[in-house]
Amino acid sequence: MNDATTISNPWIAWQRAALDETFAAVGRMSHFPMLLEKARRIRKGVTPSEVVYEEDRLKLRHYITDAKPRYRTPLVFIYALVNRPYILDLKQGRSVVANFVERGFDTYLVDWGVPLYADRHLTLDDYINGYMVNVMDFLRERTGADKLNVLGYCMGGTMSAMFTALHPEWVKNLTLLAAPIDFATQDGLLNVWTRPEYFDVDKFVDAFGNCPAQFLQGLFTLLRPVGNLLEKPINFYEHMHEEKFLDDFLTTESWLNDNIPVPGEVYREFVKYLYQKNLLTQNQMPVGKHIVNLKNIICPVLNIMAGQDDLVPCSQGTPFNDLVGSKDREAILLNESGHIGLAIGGRAQREVWPQACDWLAKRTN
Amino acid sequence: MSDTSEQTVDQAAAFQKIWLDSISKLMQTAFTFGTESAPPELLRELRSGIFQAWSKSWEEYMRSPQFLESMKQWMDQAVGFRKMSNDFMANVRNEFQATSREDIDNIMLAVSHMEKRLLDRVEALSVQVNELKERVGNGETKRPAAKAPSPKPGQPKYSRKPSRGNGKVKAL
Repeated sequence: MNDATTISNPWIAWQRAALDETFAAVGRMSHFPMLLEKARRIRKGVTPSEVVYEEDRLKLRHYITDAKPRYRTPLVFIYALVNRPYILDLKQGRSVVANFVERGFDTYLVDWGVPLYADRHLTLDDYINGYMVNVMDFLRERTGADKLNVLGYCMGGTMSAMFTALHPEWVKNLTLLAAPIDFATQDGLLNVWTRPEYFDVDKFVDAFGNCPAQFLQGLFTLLRPVGNLLEKPINFYEHMHEEKFLDDFLTTESWLNDNIPVPGEVYREFVKYLYQKNLLTQNQMPVGKHIVNLKNIICPVLNIMAGQDDLVPCSQGTPFNDLVGSKDREAILLNESGHIGLAIGGRAQREVWPQACDWLAKRTN
Repeated sequence: MSDTSEQTVDQAAAFQKIWLDSISKLMQTAFTFGTESAPPELLRELRSGIFQAWSKSWEEYMRSPQFLESMKQWMDQAVGFRKMSNDFMANVRNEFQATSREDIDNIMLAVSHMEKRLLDRVEALSVQVNELKERVGNGETKRPAAKAPSPKPGQPKYSRKPSRGNGKVKAL
């Protein structure tokens, strides 16, 4: 291919390049038969774990390590109700969980499981004042700690913030990762598409029950149609012969396509109270019969955001630090990263997570 | 012209606009590259420019009122179709004297409301019991040493809810 640059006749250079590309294409095609087998071998979650608590669909995973935990206060990851939580422990060298486990934190993860049609009536109150309270209560009994460190990702971050505001006495440190808090911004397409004049969430939930996984999948694809439908397949085709690229691609794609439905009532509350009315920032968000007041959050807060996030633009997360009652609050913004890159990206793994571990270690017994 | 046909014309015009914008941006991109680069690199740069131009046009289009209106229409149709199929299936099940999804929903909702009422009542009773305990404590505290029982540190502020669904709680 480099020879093409040295050939002075452009016509011959183009012919030579076309020939090179043809050979390269044939070489790439030869990798097709192995793709399926490689896709089958993809592991979901790499850090060894055991289920220590179960309730309905919920599973609480405890990450096992040979070394004794250095910190007495356990750390709980609260994942979103959209997609599956193994993105936080995707693969070797790209695991958020592994960063904390290796630093000696006693680490747990809440896997909400896949909601069935029967779960369509579950509300944010059931999740926050029901399941989350039960999990925290169980962990306090199991570990003997009075308080817990909480880390919430995406929608799980919003839920963690609500939980901390309702139960401030239980949370020692709160870390939010790409969590939407202020929904007034119109930077993200989701905020535009869910405007009340264009989207009737009541009609939608009444007809469908749970919010279907395929619907969410379609929305996420439409956030970057050219990137997702054109650039990604072409990029894959050009690099499919590279072992590392293929492994990363298949792992990430298998997670991206592993979407799950969201319980109907939770979806209704999230769209209506947050996307359409932005009640959380006004301290008027109802969770059951309680109202969430973010000023009740007085524990140390770390807010991690991504500059290129299509799903949760950083303008949705930035105001959080000004809305809480905490005096100890910090923010990390990774400019070049997107929503998923913030968890599994190389730069996030090198720069963000060691920093987040240091921050938590300083504030944990 | 009726409102519906006007909307359709608007939507078609908006869709046509994004393609015209895209093509004009593509042409601009194509003419910014010199012929000095090697052919494959030139094509890649060109492709990247084209994709960037398309991304911008699509982003603008997906924020336009015309796109939002067409999305609303599509959603209304999807919801309507779903309702129709739900009703049809409910009728079929009822004809066969089987339980329809609607019946199950109604029962679940009734159970859920009953559970909520019971929990509220339990919570109210718990408050009353605490008040009584405090009063009994105060009655005894004619001696200065005794105190009303204070909550343990970190005691839950709100009542702990029982599990939902199959009610399975397992500490392993």
